Amino acid sequence: MSTEQPPVQVVVSLDTVVKEYGATTALAGVSLEIAAGESVAVMGPSGCGKSTLLNMIAGLDRPTSGSVIVQGEDLGHLNETGLCLFRRRRVGMIFQFFNLLDDLPALDNAAIAAQLTGVSATQARRRALELFDELGIADRRDTYPALLSGGERQRVAVARALMNRPSLMLADEPTGALDSHSAEQVMDLLIDLNQIGQTLVVVTHDEHLATRCASRVVRLSDGKMVGEQSVEQLL
Amino acid sequence: MSAVWALSRAAARRRRLQTTVIGIVTFVSAITIVVALELFSASSAPFEHAFAQQQGAELVAAFDKAKVTDAQLVATGARPGVTASAGPFPQVTVDISQPSGAGPSRLPSVPPGPLTVVGRPSPGGRLDRVDLWSGHWPTGAGQVVVNRAPGGPSPVGSVIELSDGQSLAVVGAAYSVSQSAGAWVTPAEADALGAKESEMLYRFADATTSDQLRSDLTSVTGGLAPGALAGSRSYLTLERQYSTSVAQAYVPFLFAFGILALVVAVMMVANVVSGTVVAGLRHIGIMKAVGYTPGQVGAVYLLMILIPGAVATLVGTLAGTLVSKPLLSTATQGLGLPAPSVSPWLDVVVLAGLPVLVALAALASARRAKRLPAARAITAGAAPSAGHGLRAQRALASTALPRAVSLGLGLPFARPARTALTVATLALGVTAVTFAAGLTSSVIRYGQLQQRTSSVQVTAAVRHNGRSLLVVSAASDQRTAELLASLPGTRTLTAELQTVGELVGPNVRIDLDFLRGDTSSLGYPIVNGHWINGPGQAVVGPGFLKDHDLAVGDRVTLTMGGAPATVTIVGETWSYDPSGLMADWHTASVLDPGRGATRYEIGLRPGTNLASYIARANRADPSVMVQANGGLNGDEQLIPDFSTLFTVLLAIVAALGVLNTVLLTIRERRRDLGMLKSIGMTPRQVTVMMVTSATALGLIGSLIGVPAGITVHRVVVPAMVHATNAVLPSSLLDVWTAGLIAALALSGVVIAAVGAFVPARNAGRLRVAAVLHNE
Ligand SMILES: Nc1ncnc2c1ncn2[C@@H]1O[C@H](COP(=O)(O)OP(=O)(O)O)[C@@H](O)[C@H]1O
Ligand SMILES: [Mg+2]
Repeated sequence: MSTEQPPVQVVVSLDTVVKEYGATTALAGVSLEIAAGESVAVMGPSGCGKSTLLNMIAGLDRPTSGSVIVQGEDLGHLNETGLCLFRRRRVGMIFQFFNLLDDLPALDNAAIAAQLTGVSATQARRRALELFDELGIADRRDTYPALLSGGERQRVAVARALMNRPSLMLADEPTGALDSHSAEQVMDLLIDLNQIGQTLVVVTHDEHLATRCASRVVRLSDGKMVGEQSVEQLL
Repeated sequence: MSAVWALSRAAARRRRLQTTVIGIVTFVSAITIVVALELFSASSAPFEHAFAQQQGAELVAAFDKAKVTDAQLVATGARPGVTASAGPFPQVTVDISQPSGAGPSRLPSVPPGPLTVVGRPSPGGRLDRVDLWSGHWPTGAGQVVVNRAPGGPSPVGSVIELSDGQSLAVVGAAYSVSQSAGAWVTPAEADALGAKESEMLYRFADATTSDQLRSDLTSVTGGLAPGALAGSRSYLTLERQYSTSVAQAYVPFLFAFGILALVVAVMMVANVVSGTVVAGLRHIGIMKAVGYTPGQVGAVYLLMILIPGAVATLVGTLAGTLVSKPLLSTATQGLGLPAPSVSPWLDVVVLAGLPVLVALAALASARRAKRLPAARAITAGAAPSAGHGLRAQRALASTALPRAVSLGLGLPFARPARTALTVATLALGVTAVTFAAGLTSSVIRYGQLQQRTSSVQVTAAVRHNGRSLLVVSAASDQRTAELLASLPGTRTLTAELQTVGELVGPNVRIDLDFLRGDTSSLGYPIVNGHWINGPGQAVVGPGFLKDHDLAVGDRVTLTMGGAPATVTIVGETWSYDPSGLMADWHTASVLDPGRGATRYEIGLRPGTNLASYIARANRADPSVMVQANGGLNGDEQLIPDFSTLFTVLLAIVAALGVLNTVLLTIRERRRDLGMLKSIGMTPRQVTVMMVTSATALGLIGSLIGVPAGITVHRVVVPAMVHATNAVLPSSLLDVWTAGLIAALALSGVVIAAVGAFVPARNAGRLRVAAVLHNE
């Protein structure tokens, strides 16, 4: 289904996206474009719709109206299974509370993402171990999530997100549940990723994280975009 | 597929308690279902079942040896319409004498009188494969195997004395559903005893009606010398006798239990499985975020549940088969039939069916989870829907209850779907327990009504001594009656003359029972009209009224060969009995003056020792055989046995259902529990809180389950009684005392508390640091 990509590569394109939960309007018509290799920070007070926005881009939920196009794929045209297949290959996602599968040891938590795309278990583990090595958690590979520290868990989640070399990495308050030291490490990791060309969208209300990681900051308030700045402007 | 398999295997292994619960519930359900299904197949048509199993003879015929040769008889097996035959076997009728040494309280192994003895080389053969349930087949002269339904003490070792002075040693006991003989010996021994007849056994292509059997008989005997056929009997006669017997009445009861067990087991499995899925919402959300497709999510849950489910089904089916074997033989003993074999195809049905059921339950509940967008599934697991619970919890907090209790009572409001599931589990369990308790009481009453043991406890029957028609003189009757009345302990005495007569008009033979004395003390329930209270009155069963198109108030004329007498039917009893009529003594003296009673029914004073009364009565008058009326004999004990087994199994399953729910609640609320403990809640308070919330649900389960169980009882019991063509006496339904209802209501609470206790205590022991660290 993927169409020929235009020269200026737009990875994410939102057009007047509205999301309502019953009487609550989480997003009130957001339009946004993100280009390949960009690193965008989404900021705003709690409850302003940041996670909702990210979920729309990840195909974890559907907008009430408006369109979401990621890598030329109109998510509105995909059914539940289609969205899953899309997420598998195109999107890596990390959450504030990690969302690891408690029943699997750390390494398998990451490997499973590759296994889902048809890679053999052995190969998936090998790739996961490479990532664990890079992330400095190779010695924790057989530990179950319940026994890992928050920082370790978030690094497992990062490894899982990177398994299928996604064209888009989404992070929802990735440091929100971490101590400052672990937060610093995870931040460095995201910066490194972006340096080697990974497109990145980070939700945060941490100005420090935003200025360090992002090339552009998008501000939301009550479901509306209230400002857009490049980091140069910020500084 | 490997990602699916890896995750489901890991989950089944890691969630040990949940896997165990699913395993045990499926295991117990498999046992229950196998026993129930075996019971079905054994009780749905017990006679037909046993008859088919023994390759029963549809026609048993005796031929005169002097008029037909063995070769001619063998040739009858090739006549048109005959599908199988066996014989000829030499047959002789011997006369059993009164046992000489036996005391009055000891029953002879074979009653005195004529006995048909057939010479057969083996219990097997093409037809009438009799069930040799004790001892061995005769191997030489002087040995005999008696025909008797299995159960009760084995007669092996006793001796049958014939009136001509010979004696036969009983070496075995066997049962022929076709009733092809009273006893069997070797063919040589039958000849030695003077066999003058040959027995032939047949099965036919068409033998479903008596007309077909008549033409089959004509086909078999055609061309033989006139008078060659000495006698014959079709299996339809036996089937009819069987279907009107008391034992048959228990079949619907067994059936109802089977259905109940089946329904509850199925619902419990569905309940536990769907509980697992509902509790897995957050997990499902994460899986979808990682990239599991809805189909794969379904597959993971299916496998996760099927792994323990399949193992438990296998083990449970084996266990159920083992358990049902002795139970079934008890069941059919009560029915006077040999033990049916366990049907392997039923095992196959359960082995294949139960996993399918588990899968359907998992899929049905996974559907909702599958459709839910991943983002919402993740948050749905993390936070209970506010609103619902909040108001209830605030209201509870402002009561004077201990905080642990009010918090516990508030928990169910936070998760309405989970709560509904638990309440359903409990309500089902309580319904089953209630119904089982009611049914047990009804069946015990049914037995009491049949045997009237609450009215008359002892029967004295005039000894028969082999005479076919028992005639007792008035003088001997008077002597016996006075003697029995004078015994200490006798409260009421009713004399009865049991004989046969004819209904003038339709000219059919009927069984007559004339009653003398305080006849209302006999305790026959009257469902219509009233009991006999004057001369010329009669009482009959609904079968009699139906067969002769009569109603209460009608008059019928009876004869016993002499002068006729007319009686008015004044009442209808409840049991079907198409051929019996009870009338007052005056009518007997009109029909055949001077005949004495053949039977006495005695009601004892409270506190009289039954055994010593019977022993004294037997000593006082050797001309009567005095016995206790029933009591809880094999038939009736069977129902409480079954009902206890099923009740226990179902209560276990219900408690496990609760355990499962509490377990899931705790897994999901670990953080809240850790938080409560961190702010100072003691482990004991946590346990109290969790048990309180389960107990509250148990109470609701009882409030639903007890009335539901009573309702089911009110529907099922009349249906079962009507299935036997009897009229329902209202006392069978009035079994609900306040005490019983209170105990049943308590059962829901107890089941809930027991089910909740273990996981609740574990919750109390959760280490705060571990819990909070995990979130
Ligand atoms: N699944 C949901 N159901 C109902 N309301 C929701 C749901 N998810 C988010 N909301 C509401 O939408 C608004 C935006 O939420 P969210 O995007 O999570 O905010 P943020 O991440 O910026 O804190 C909030 O008012 C929140 O209560
Ligand atoms: Mg958020």
